Amino acid sequence: MTLYLALKSAIMAILLAGAFYLFKTKVQRLFLIMQSVDGPGPGEPDRIKERMGVLFRDVLGQSNVRRKKMAGWAHTLIFFGFLAVQPHSLELMIRGVIPGFSVGHLLPGLYNFYLFTADILGFLVLAGFAYAAHRRFVTKPAYLTMGRDANLIILFTSVIIITFHLINACQVVSPYAAQGYDYSGVFPVSGIIVSIFGMAHLSADTQVFLFETFYFIHMLTILGFLIYIPGSKHLHLLAAAPNVFLKPLEREKAVQKTDIEDEDAESFGLGKINELNWYNVLNLYACTECGRCQEQCPADHTGKPLSPKAIVHDLKTDLFKWSDNILKGNKEEIDPIVGEGTEITPDIIWSCTTCRACEDICPVNIQHLDFILEARKYQVLMEAEFPVEMQDTFTNLENQGNPWGFSADTRGNWAKETGIPTMAENPHPDILWFVGSASSFDDRAVKISRALAELLKIAGVNVAILGEQEWGVGDTARRAGNEYLAQMMIMQNVEVLNECRPKRILTACPHTYNMLKNEYPEFGADFPVVHHSQYLLELVRQNRLILDERSLGTITFHDSCYLGRWNGIFDEPRELIAQMNRGQAPIEMKRTKDKGFCCGAGGARMFMEETLGNYINVDRAKEITATGADMVASACPYCITMLQDGLKECGSEIKVHDLAEIMHRKIKETH
Amino acid sequence: MSKTGVFIETTDQEIKQSVFGVISAAAAGGGEVTGFLLDGRADKYKDQLAACGVTELVALEAKDIDFSKSPQATGEALAKGATDFGISALLGVSSPTGNDVLARAAMALKAPLALDCMDVDFTANTVKKSHFSGKAVATLEMTGALFVCGIRPNSFEAVESPVTIKITPHTVEVENSDAIIVTEVQAADSSRKDLTEATVIISGGRPMASSDNFKILDECARKLDAVVGASRAAVDAGYAPHSMQVGQTGKIVSPKLYIGCGLSGSVQHFAGMKTSKVIVAINTDKDAPIFTKSDYGIIGDLFEVVPALTKELEKQG
Ligand SMILES: Cc1cc2nc3c(=O)[nH]c(=O)nc-3n(C[C@H](O)[C@H](O)[C@H](O)COP(=O)(O)OP(=O)(O)OC[C@H]3O[C@@H](n4cnc5c(N)ncnc54)[C@H](O)[C@@H]3O)c2cc1C
Ligand code: SF4
Ligand code: SF4
Repeated sequence: MTLYLALKSAIMAILLAGAFYLFKTKVQRLFLIMQSVDGPGPGEPDRIKERMGVLFRDVLGQSNVRRKKMAGWAHTLIFFGFLAVQPHSLELMIRGVIPGFSVGHLLPGLYNFYLFTADILGFLVLAGFAYAAHRRFVTKPAYLTMGRDANLIILFTSVIIITFHLINACQVVSPYAAQGYDYSGVFPVSGIIVSIFGMAHLSADTQVFLFETFYFIHMLTILGFLIYIPGSKHLHLLAAAPNVFLKPLEREKAVQKTDIEDEDAESFGLGKINELNWYNVLNLYACTECGRCQEQCPADHTGKPLSPKAIVHDLKTDLFKWSDNILKGNKEEIDPIVGEGTEITPDIIWSCTTCRACEDICPVNIQHLDFILEARKYQVLMEAEFPVEMQDTFTNLENQGNPWGFSADTRGNWAKETGIPTMAENPHPDILWFVGSASSFDDRAVKISRALAELLKIAGVNVAILGEQEWGVGDTARRAGNEYLAQMMIMQNVEVLNECRPKRILTACPHTYNMLKNEYPEFGADFPVVHHSQYLLELVRQNRLILDERSLGTITFHDSCYLGRWNGIFDEPRELIAQMNRGQAPIEMKRTKDKGFCCGAGGARMFMEETLGNYINVDRAKEITATGADMVASACPYCITMLQDGLKECGSEIKVHDLAEIMHRKIKETH
Repeated sequence: MSKTGVFIETTDQEIKQSVFGVISAAAAGGGEVTGFLLDGRADKYKDQLAACGVTELVALEAKDIDFSKSPQATGEALAKGATDFGISALLGVSSPTGNDVLARAAMALKAPLALDCMDVDFTANTVKKSHFSGKAVATLEMTGALFVCGIRPNSFEAVESPVTIKITPHTVEVENSDAIIVTEVQAADSSRKDLTEATVIISGGRPMASSDNFKILDECARKLDAVVGASRAAVDAGYAPHSMQVGQTGKIVSPKLYIGCGLSGSVQHFAGMKTSKVIVAINTDKDAPIFTKSDYGIIGDLFEVVPALTKELEKQG
């Protein structure tokens, strides 16, 4: 026996050293890749205390994962169970090398309590796996990858947990396994195994044999798992926590500003995989391939070739394919990400509506748009490749400052009969109304502008517009990857804004709101911005707009992505609807608020033909009709067009109205 | 006196409309205008060509060669004709066919070539081209004894300037190359012509209600020599193919006359036709936004108005 124990010590020592060494080398390589990519990454993380909180809530608390109920709870069980058995496994490892090692003798109370809990939690892992297996083999949702990788992991971990219980059982009955410690009554679950299999009645030798067999299976599987992790989808076990820790703390975000004046820059945007930055790479490592992003994606949902999950996966594959070149600094040979025969095609990157449903749902906070929008930038600025329709749109934006090419000096014409003055006529307004292109030129949206104009007049707001001094805000150009044009447009407005230094800016367009609020500050124009859904509510609360008690019938509300997911404005429009409709909250669609479904217009898709799959707006329109509401309200000129077209296409009579129109009609009827 | 040659491009036994503008440009240049025809129907076209100033019509022929099947042979024949008749500038329409053939002719002549020109000056030997989507105009000097130039369609108005015309059959020798042979020509959509080149367009929207109903627009279009267009709503509903869609994500057109039948006047549609010279709208709803954008509005059912219009046009012949 002593000889066996000596041998076991030696074998375990070699196995542990070997496995940890391999693990270390693999992880080190992953680190090196992060350090060797070229993109300028974010600096040191700020607000560490808040980030610790995030770590506790999202990782330890698993709150993000559980936004998908069943799968989330299953993951929580697996996560905690797996964490719980680790100290026990560690003790067993040490015991393998140093046979007399025992924590139990030092702190028996704590030790027993720990084992008791771990034994239960470990068992619950199996319950979690049962659900995971059920999804993989029975329900099989399309967004889950059914690869060998995932199945192997389930197998690995199941073996680890089962042998954990079997080892415990042996420790209860075998003095050899217990090493002089009394394990009876410590394991609630493993204790049951003891009685079911009548293990107490086995001969001492059999017990020893079983213990050693389970022990080695347990150890080899754990060590195998350890080596396997850094190359598999379960790399997320290592990368998820740091990625969540480093996530953007704010919901609001801006498209990455590219220094287009940089004369030394060899390339703009994301053309080759080595142009990622370290944070992008960490994002790729962190993906769990859970498929939630794909499940939410309007492009994928309507049969387009884009899946955010596939983008992350394909980029990761590309990264590993070229990792040698990246590490050796031999980057010229690296092939472009989008090119002939690559997984990521132009159709994929141009299908994105930038709705951010993927980023919002991702349990490990991957920033998909950092990849997609940068890839577009490269296509436009370096390759001059973009959907043909964008050619005229770009030209129009450049020449006239609006996507349709209406003469720039007619921008303020819509307001002529409304009595809303321009800044030139009223240089000190309380509110500067930045109207935006759609709301100035599109007849449908102009109707909304006129309604809002009248409401402002009724409420006695001291307001002015910029008129022909206003220029397209830059959202379309920027999201279509034309950073150069976008910055030209932005700078033009920034200059004007800085000259009139508004106290507060109002806009009825979520895209404009987002640009002014989140993207203009970086260009030197930082003024308070309010969206009309918020501002109208403010006026109602101040009793400057008085609403009567008549009902408007049933209303459902469609969230604009740029109001909701980009800026977190979910409640104000709903509150406003309730105020207008006798306190009756809007009927919610199935996909709503942070999980709302895009209308299809974002990301400059409003100006491209939708040739792949089904129309996104029709998909949404069907959901609207399913609510049985009399009216659908929205607060974005693009959404209004999309929904109106979609509903007409479905032959539905449901009316689409902006919040300002609804309120205007209501107030006019009262007066 | 200098001689200007014009490639008389024909399709389906008709001279392409924009060729007449090119002839007028050539005639305005002061020189004699020589037309080069390759489809062998000189008699059919001679009056039309004489009316706008072609003094000599050269009917090019080559043994065993069908020009309609070989752009290379057409280009070479044009080159030979230009040399044989002492031409100092060879013009044509910058249409897809024109660009193809003129480039081959220039190659054979080893002469300078400029396509998509807006203007030509025959005394200074210069051409004008638009760049950066119309924000800049470049003037190019064409060197050498002979230059080849394609004119952007509709850059010049056709003007009457009748002369007497002489038809000269001329046989040239060109190589019967089989490098490119046109085996079949398929129109994008059977009878419907290209919208972007049309001078008159009549479009139908959602209320057309079926592809069959588009026939009433087709009939009217025949009388007006117009091309039929559609809104995206009509295209989405399957009443018309996408090639007929006018608008932001369809064709951008700029005809002299645009007749919109049952179009609400969405900005997406308007963006594609707002540069039309005259816009006429037919709509049942007097408040339809299209009326604020059109020069003439007819409040009425398109299924009554359009057939009535066709009938009236028929009466007038
Ligand atoms: C991304 C995107 C791109 C788009 N691109 C384009 C584009 O390129 N081109 C385009 O056209 N649209 C485009 N649209 C669609 C556009 O928003 C409108 O939906 C569309 O132009 C409306 O078509 P319509 O006028 O035929 O139909 P409707 O808007 O339904 O209008 C029909 C009109 O016909 C009138 N009418 C009804 N019956 C009769 C009758 N019997 N006689 C006369 N009048 C009648 C009605 O009063 C109404 O005004 C695009 C939309 C999106 C979202
Ligand atoms: S932003 Fe929206 S459309 Fe784009 S990949 Fe994400 S979910 Fe899909
Ligand atoms: S990117 Fe996020 S949501 Fe998408 S599969 Fe990966 S972990 Fe899941």
